[in-house]
Amino acid sequence: MELKEQLQRSWRVLAKWFLRIPPVPRGLTATVFFLGCAYLISHFLIGHTGGENNSALVFVLAVVFISLLTEGYIFGLVASVFGAVITNYSFMAPYDEFSLSQKGYPVTMLSMLAISLVVCALTSRVRQQAQDAEARERNTKLLFEQNQKLNEEKAAIQLQSAQETIRSNILRAVSHDLRTPLTAIAGTASVLLSTPEVSPRNVAMLQDIKSDADALINMVENLLSVTRIEDGVVPLKKREEMLEEVAGDAVLTLKRRFPLGNVQLELSEDLLYLPMDSMLIKQVMVNLLENAVRHSGDTEHIVMKLYRRDDWAVVEVRDHGTGLSDEVLEAIRDGRPLRVGNSADSTRGMGIGLSVCQSIIKAHGGFFEAENAPDGGAVFRFGLHMEEVPMEA
Amino acid sequence: MSEKRTILVIEDEHAISNFICRALSASDYKAIPAAGGKEGLSLFFSHGPDLVLLDLGLPDMDGLDVLTQLSDLPREVPVIIISARDRESEKVRALDMGADDYVVKPFGVSELLARIRTTLRRSDRMKMSQGIQRDVYKVKDLVVDIARHQVLQGNVQIHFTQNEFKILELLAIHAGKVLTYDFILEHVWGPFGSNTSNQILRVNMANIRRKLHENPSEPRYIYTELGIGYRMLED
Repeated sequence: MELKEQLQRSWRVLAKWFLRIPPVPRGLTATVFFLGCAYLISHFLIGHTGGENNSALVFVLAVVFISLLTEGYIFGLVASVFGAVITNYSFMAPYDEFSLSQKGYPVTMLSMLAISLVVCALTSRVRQQAQDAEARERNTKLLFEQNQKLNEEKAAIQLQSAQETIRSNILRAVSHDLRTPLTAIAGTASVLLSTPEVSPRNVAMLQDIKSDADALINMVENLLSVTRIEDGVVPLKKREEMLEEVAGDAVLTLKRRFPLGNVQLELSEDLLYLPMDSMLIKQVMVNLLENAVRHSGDTEHIVMKLYRRDDWAVVEVRDHGTGLSDEVLEAIRDGRPLRVGNSADSTRGMGIGLSVCQSIIKAHGGFFEAENAPDGGAVFRFGLHMEEVPMEA
Repeated sequence: MSEKRTILVIEDEHAISNFICRALSASDYKAIPAAGGKEGLSLFFSHGPDLVLLDLGLPDMDGLDVLTQLSDLPREVPVIIISARDRESEKVRALDMGADDYVVKPFGVSELLARIRTTLRRSDRMKMSQGIQRDVYKVKDLVVDIARHQVLQGNVQIHFTQNEFKILELLAIHAGKVLTYDFILEHVWGPFGSNTSNQILRVNMANIRRKLHENPSEPRYIYTELGIGYRMLED
């Protein structure tokens, strides 16, 4: 059994190797080789068995092998004819002479040729079928593999889109579930503040409730924006905007929240009309202004200035307070996120706000920088690229 | 005021509805809360309110459908939309469908009350004038004289281009109401105006602002509604 398997295996290897040769040289080689073998074997047999010989059968066998290993019928056909001729010429009396004169020779010759041809045809068909079957098998396997790969990819895509849906659902839920009660808290506090029977002591407490709720609302907006951008789940909603309108809205928002803060908006002579996600850019401005109002120690002289520098629309927020520490300046220069609540209590909340600014500007492909002004106070500056849109007006 | 004005509050969030109603009562309005669109519509017919506050995100029906049903009625009742911050297109649609104004969650009480006052005043004025247009509109020291086609700021005449004047005129006629970009484009640049780019309007507005020495951070006449449109302060 083992021997048979081994033989089968070596035959398969040999055949495979052999089949890799191009068809014509292979056919010639096989034909010459097997006819040569048949000739040698017949020669050997005739030496041992004498006149009564089986060379015709040997040559038919050679034709079988040749048909198996060559393409088409040609080589088998040629081998059949050669086989018949060689048998007659070499292995039938009179030797070394082609003769059809002996009684029965023509019949032997013709029947041998006929058998060879039939065998050749049959073998070729068997071979063709084997090849077809193999090809079918290969195709099926290929199809199966492709199908499997497609299924895997589909599953991966489905999983990813499911995750994205879940994430954006969570974002929406969080934003809704946090904003709603916070709006209600801030709103109720301001309703109470406007009722006449509240005592002065309670007024202060209510004001605290209101301003903390407002701060939390802003914090929620910040967190949502930064999650939105960094996940890349929601793309930027870019549209052309007049920068001064966004800036004006940002200043008005800040004034509503910090009525005591005095912010000047300096407009540019140029019309700064450029694509941006206005809600996010407004948030950057609000964050920078809030930062100045709450952390600079000077709420009186805050200036937001808009101007054009080359191809950049630049927004600059300047205060006249204590300025920025080296640590903060370095972090912003390296584009590193600030550590939240690192030093004094006065920087509480500053880290998140500035990180959000950095992310939003980065997502817009703009620049963000900070420095201390020579005459004191901090300067935050960010720029958005102006895309040249032809002016129609 | 002899009689309390009635305001229907269609809002499904209990907490929000509650504080709005309290704020309204404290400001001497009669507030009727409704937790859904269907309830809101039926309360509208039974109470005949003077103004409707409508949340667009309702559980039982689309807020815009409620708005359609309200604006199909012969009796014109002003509607103020309450909407989430990140749904600009919804707001614009609501305004184009006839809503008078909008507030964005999270909003403050004083802001809401100011918008309600403005809208009620505007609707009263519309009823009294019976749709007859005035010739002269005044906002603080700004006079838009439609008959004479001129604009005075503190008795000094300011020259505007044809389109700039048309924008000012349109804003003045609808003073107090938010006008969407498309609405203005269509009325100033013709029926196909909304197909032209927004830029032409925005540039004109920036020029108007410069001529009036108007800083968008301290608007005296024209408010910017970011991503939506403009509104002129009412008289």
